[in-house]
Amino acid sequence: MKFNEAAVFKWVVIVVAAGALIVAVTLLTRPLVGALLLLAIVIAGCIYAYRWWISQKRH
Amino acid sequence: MESASVAVGQSHADHHHHGPPEANQSSRIDRQTLGILLFIVSEVMLFGAFFASYFFLRVVVDPQSWPPEPFELPKAVAGMNTAILISSSFTVHYALESIRRGNRTGLKLGLVATWLLGATFLFIQINEYVHLGFSARDLSFGSIFYSLTGLHGAHVFVGLMLLSFATIRAFRGHFGPKEEDHLGVEVPGIYWHFVDIMWIIVYVTVYIL
Repeated sequence: MKFNEAAVFKWVVIVVAAGALIVAVTLLTRPLVGALLLLAIVIAGCIYAYRWWISQKRH
Repeated sequence: MESASVAVGQSHADHHHHGPPEANQSSRIDRQTLGILLFIVSEVMLFGAFFASYFFLRVVVDPQSWPPEPFELPKAVAGMNTAILISSSFTVHYALESIRRGNRTGLKLGLVATWLLGATFLFIQINEYVHLGFSARDLSFGSIFYSLTGLHGAHVFVGLMLLSFATIRAFRGHFGPKEEDHLGVEVPGIYWHFVDIMWIIVYVTVYIL
């Protein structure tokens, strides 16, 4: 994995997009719905990180 | 030991090397980038502890309302501040893309813009503290709010210091297009992105949810 500023900036864009989605959902519905969406995104992130770690171990 | 001293002697003859042998380093990541990565990991753990405290107070202690009456958080002002900090991530990225292409003018412009946006964020945050209407001593809510946002503000301040060094060096012409020639901007840039990501998480968790 290349760890440089460009790689980290990619994650800034992803987090901004996720944050904007959570803010929009929360303001349109209720804080509980936004919290559940946040939890879902965190779980998805953990699964992605685990799968990436497994692929790194294989290489 | 003997082979090491022989090796040093040989390298001394061939490369005029002085002092102990170079420390082993990874071929996949340079030491400066590894250093900032490890530092950021430790800071994420620090923020994690504060978030754990926040969620404990909000969920486990379970007050009647959150924020407790009559406290209110200025979501719109903080939202505008969030936009300012996100913009600063784009400007620092622009600065780094510029120097990767050898554009020193773009580097200087990007760094100055990033610094100004970061200072504006901090100024607005301090102004918000003055006009909030509650202090860190007002209930556990006040305590955790000021702790979490204050911790982030301290990180922004450190980031501004790093950007100051990078900007001064940029104006002195220290940086070049090769990766090893602009690590002095790359590392503060990585740190600045971490500060931005942390603020987005703080804003969504504290102000919105």
